[in-house]
Amino acid sequence: MPELRKDPIIGRWIIISAERGKRPTDFIIEKNSVRGGFCPLCPGNENTTPPEVLSYSNTADRPSNKPGWEIRVVPNKYPALIIEGDLNKEGEGLYDKMNGIGAHEVIIETPDHNETFTHLPPARMIRVFRAYRDRITDLGKDPRFSYVMIFKNYGAAAGASLEHSHSQLIALPILPRMITSELEGSLSYYSYKERCIFCDIIRQEINQKIRLVAQNELFIAIAPYAPRSPFEMWILPKKHSSSYISMDENHFVALSEIFSECMLRLDKCIPNVPYNFVLHSAPLRSDSLSHYHWHFEIMPKLTMIAGFEWGSGFYINPIPPEEAARYLRDAEI
Amino acid sequence: MKKILLVDDEDSIHLLYREELEEEGYEVHSALSGEEALGKLKIISPDLVILDINMPGMNGIDALRQIKESNPNLPVILSSAYQEFKQDLSTWASDDYIVKSANLDELKAAVKKHLS
Repeated sequence: MPELRKDPIIGRWIIISAERGKRPTDFIIEKNSVRGGFCPLCPGNENTTPPEVLSYSNTADRPSNKPGWEIRVVPNKYPALIIEGDLNKEGEGLYDKMNGIGAHEVIIETPDHNETFTHLPPARMIRVFRAYRDRITDLGKDPRFSYVMIFKNYGAAAGASLEHSHSQLIALPILPRMITSELEGSLSYYSYKERCIFCDIIRQEINQKIRLVAQNELFIAIAPYAPRSPFEMWILPKKHSSSYISMDENHFVALSEIFSECMLRLDKCIPNVPYNFVLHSAPLRSDSLSHYHWHFEIMPKLTMIAGFEWGSGFYINPIPPEEAARYLRDAEI
Repeated sequence: MKKILLVDDEDSIHLLYREELEEEGYEVHSALSGEEALGKLKIISPDLVILDINMPGMNGIDALRQIKESNPNLPVILSSAYQEFKQDLSTWASDDYIVKSANLDELKAAVKKHLS
């Protein structure tokens, strides 16, 4: 019997169609074709990108925009939103509009063209997470921006056109609908119970263990109760915190370790699976929020989003999260 | 006279662009596909390439990566009817990205900039 499940935070419904009985090996993953040729993200080609806004290097005297970097963050050469200008918010009858102001940047996660994020050792993955923090902190000083969305696409099916490992950020003058829904949903729960819903989820998942994928002293990784995608995982700090940028160094170390573990487990279950991950954090410049809890959502791209999903907002997932978590826990890494 | 290699699978684009660019004093050569463009690069040795993206066979983005691999300093202007290809980071290998329009002022300005 299929099962309808409701996400407790935003109220989104999903259908678990477990009778389809899918196992990880049932998913056919198209091999990432290597396009070859010139890569604008590789060391030596720094002149093909806009000037870097941040870089980390092991060499103290490395000149900007030259090889020798470990992490490099550059504005998008052809951005979806532009950084210069005013918002000029206005109405057109009942419709609202404003200028397309924003920052669109690319975080180049490694100088090695063939190294995937999944296979970055935690000691290097940590730099990616620090780069996210540093860019959010910097862009948060711009009063035009309300939110910085950090995301990664891996594999052509998940929207990545270039194989060189990178993630992206877009600073927005408005809050994305998804974040607003989470803020509203978690505030509603908090108003009723005076507890953070994410903290309650963490407590329940640690107790029940059936959807637990991994944990360490500071973080937990779970298959959420109502996942949109097979093998969807959320990574959350165990201690309540609404903003990613408030993380201390110990948390960065622990985050890198659990993130690396989760990615390796996923890769073991479904090698080279395309995926997206997204950082969900409190709006810029918001004080610490008692009802909200920052986290990462990792969504393997294994199912089609088609008419039913667009029309209903429902997702159909052929693997219950309890089974997905078991496969992930059992994967030998 | 500066030489431009115009790569597009649509004849109407060749007719329009060639006339306007020749009026500007450029020598215009044509290729109808990515594969043909790669072949003509060695023969013509153009000073600049205008490259469509959505073409049968080798598309413009794959052609761009091959062109820049062997000719990193050759300016390439991507010219497409679609904005959304800008989301493909491979387009960063290009020197400009112009959305096709009946008014070629933007394209001509980009050509002038990269050939000056």
